[in-house]
Amino acid sequence: MDVEREILVPEAPDEVWEALTEPERLEEWFATEVELDARPGGEGVFRWGDGDERHAVVRELEETERLVLDWDDGGSVAIELEPVVEGTLVRVVESSPEFAPALGLRALAWTAAAA
Amino acid sequence: MDGRGGVDRVFTALGDPGRRSLIEAVATRGTATATELAAELPVTRQAVAKQLSSLADAGLLHATRAGRETRYEVTPAPLEDAVEWMVSVGAAWDERLAALRRSLANKT
Repeated sequence: MDVEREILVPEAPDEVWEALTEPERLEEWFATEVELDARPGGEGVFRWGDGDERHAVVRELEETERLVLDWDDGGSVAIELEPVVEGTLVRVVESSPEFAPALGLRALAWTAAAA
Repeated sequence: MDGRGGVDRVFTALGDPGRRSLIEAVATRGTATATELAAELPVTRQAVAKQLSSLADAGLLHATRAGRETRYEVTPAPLEDAVEWMVSVGAAWDERLAALRRSLANKT
């Protein structure tokens, strides 16, 4: 099962890339406290104000284009940057594959309940 | 979520199209017995009963004894975790991307 989000920002991909990969920049939008070794195989630790802490490993990294992190709980997140005339299209796909078959069924139960 | 084991059981239970359509049939009726379903599906009562039983084992159906029959209803409990995950992760990304936009704007 995936959660997908997309936003368009006016900045160029290289500017957005810094915000995705530099720990002090990530602390401005992603988590409260960030450690990240931004290279393939590098490790990341993300902490939030509510005490939540997540660990990740960089699975893929293509400068200014694509960053994929594998979470230690089995999920993953891929962030892709696409240069467009207006700036950069930021696409996020967070996956938790083990939930994949469940969603269709849930939708089905809802459909039945609504009928 | 009760760990990988529970998820695997859900996976296996849903891997078979016959089981999926059986769940659909139960969900459509609200509750159903093997006899009721067999009357409307091109399968024997025995086959339906077996499938219903394994779906109940996987936690996808809830079984209640009703006289000589077992009555089943859909229990979305193992699926609620998945839906909850989707909603909370989606909301988190909405917030983060709004914060990313602000962070970028502040730098330029």
